[in-house]
Amino acid sequence: MAKNVKVLFFIALCPLAISLCSFGHKKSIPSATIKCDSFRSLKKIPEPSDIVFDAQTGSYYIVSDHGMLFECRHDGTIIRKAPEEGQDFEGVEVTDSFVYVSDETPRHIYKYRKSDLSLLKTSRVSWSGAANKAFESIFYNQAKKCFVLIAEAPATIIEFDENFKELDRYPFRYTRDVSGARWHDGFVYIIGGKDATIFKCDPNTYNIIEAYHINAYNPEGIAFDADGNVLITSDDLQRLYFFNHLPIIKRSSK
Amino acid sequence: MKKLVLFSALAITAATASYGQSEFSEFTDNPSAFTISSDKNTLELGGRMSFYYENRFLKSGETNLKHNGFDVKDMDLDIIGNMASKFTYEVHYSLVDMVTAAATQNTAAPTSPGFKAAYIQYNGFPVKIKLGYDKVPFSQSSIMHEHETPFWSHPGLTGGDYFSRRDIGLTLNARLLKNMINLYAGAYSGMGETFFEYGNDESGRFEYVARAEFSFPGKMNYNEIDEENTPTPHFRIGANIRYKDKTQPTGSSISQYPDALGTYGLSLINGKTTVYGIDAIVKFKGLSATFERDVVNLKPASANDPIFEGTTAAVNGGKVNAGGFITDLNYDYEKWKSVLSVGYQSLNPNDLIAGHEEWLTIGYAYKVSGFNSVAKIEYYVPTLEDKTSDPLKYTGQIRVGYQVVF
Repeated sequence: MAKNVKVLFFIALCPLAISLCSFGHKKSIPSATIKCDSFRSLKKIPEPSDIVFDAQTGSYYIVSDHGMLFECRHDGTIIRKAPEEGQDFEGVEVTDSFVYVSDETPRHIYKYRKSDLSLLKTSRVSWSGAANKAFESIFYNQAKKCFVLIAEAPATIIEFDENFKELDRYPFRYTRDVSGARWHDGFVYIIGGKDATIFKCDPNTYNIIEAYHINAYNPEGIAFDADGNVLITSDDLQRLYFFNHLPIIKRSSK
Repeated sequence: MKKLVLFSALAITAATASYGQSEFSEFTDNPSAFTISSDKNTLELGGRMSFYYENRFLKSGETNLKHNGFDVKDMDLDIIGNMASKFTYEVHYSLVDMVTAAATQNTAAPTSPGFKAAYIQYNGFPVKIKLGYDKVPFSQSSIMHEHETPFWSHPGLTGGDYFSRRDIGLTLNARLLKNMINLYAGAYSGMGETFFEYGNDESGRFEYVARAEFSFPGKMNYNEIDEENTPTPHFRIGANIRYKDKTQPTGSSISQYPDALGTYGLSLINGKTTVYGIDAIVKFKGLSATFERDVVNLKPASANDPIFEGTTAAVNGGKVNAGGFITDLNYDYEKWKSVLSVGYQSLNPNDLIAGHEEWLTIGYAYKVSGFNSVAKIEYYVPTLEDKTSDPLKYTGQIRVGYQVVF
């Protein structure tokens, strides 16, 4: 039995020993924790995976894991649905006249007309990683005038031109996975899904400026409304979370 | 046949929405896999390899040290395909089982046939329809993947000794109420993992399995560890039952399927078997706790069946019960990339024999890259030995090794 006690003691010490060895001097990122103001259940949108705000019309576009594109009001009620469906819609972006959707499993980008939500064009993009670890997000980077798709894991930022020809790629090592991303007011906001964190990033380098830990389970998509308030979709809970503005984080002086 | 048509119709009528691939696949969260796509069809290639060093602390007088050395846990290859026609297929090979079977002429591990999954599934209806060989929808612990925990194997209760974990057959699955209710029903060969050795038995009857789950506040996957640091309590409760009548025709004997009887003779009997159980899991801020209770009720057709252990009908009442409960407590601390787990189980393989056994298992995992690249150490010790039903030659066992999912 003495041997057993020694083994138990050894196992108990493992976490401490390994973690002490692994401590490094990680760069400190200003961060804050924010709590959702409210949430609403999206009963008629199965497994909502991304959301984007259309400043022209004041409505929102939401995509579903079941390959469906919806136009919705602020409270999530459906205005209309695109007739053309795909397999696994994970990202959505809106420009002046078009809605772009990332279909993760087949690696397709669908371009819909905003006027009638008819499918205009399908582009293929490449990601050789796991079938359900591909592009969970799509946004237009106005600073670099390019589309950006981010592979979920290993998290990789890939820039594309307007015909979805690859331009450049950047590894994003700050989080275990990326489940959503959005351009807003001169910055790129990236969601670490497993880490439930919104990263505010430089639009040119994608280096992290600030991090916001959120109390939303399984965050998948992010949008900013006309006032800069944050909306987060959760596919497993089929919810739309409403947050206030992201706060300004005070830097500690050294 | 009437029963199968009936529950198929009921499930289809009840369901409102359900899409996606098999929920039991062990390769749905594998960022290192490779995907080939052609138009709307995709093919994903992945696998898992793991090895450990095992050391048993033998009782005095025991001299056989065969369990003190290196061993292969997994050498798996997996192919998952998604077709534009809404079919999904998966073939999950266990190469180490295949090699072992070939080298030993299928005598070393008859319940490890080399396949862990081989099925097609249609996702185009509100009810997913799966045909082929896969885990049966029974027992949360059996369905969950042990490679995504610090432990190296499933508990004794749900590892295959008390009831089969996999079988060939038809599975229907529907999710309701924002995916919070999850229902399964299926019909299987009843031969479990030994189907590839024997095919169907002479009774010609199916085993029927049904499972119902409720999770709140939303859908929960079959991962035991709370790697997502769930911000609000998230739980699931489940109940399941399975039944088979394998009473053999006159002149036939169950002894012609020796490997199908299992370690304690519970897996296949000449008679009726009902297994029922309940289970639960809760996750919150890195902590997760599980509980499961399963009862095996056996009613042999013959009063002289060996499983009665020579007891009279007045004593055994024509039935034998087995089963037990298991519970785990886990803590995932992402800052240290660490998971610490403690498991406890209480088992009784035959209620006609006095005594039962209890086990304590402690495991630690250091996740270099999640459970896809992880070092694991596990120690388990019998805290109460059943010296009649399951005498042991050791007082504890340690396994330490490394696992890579690709």
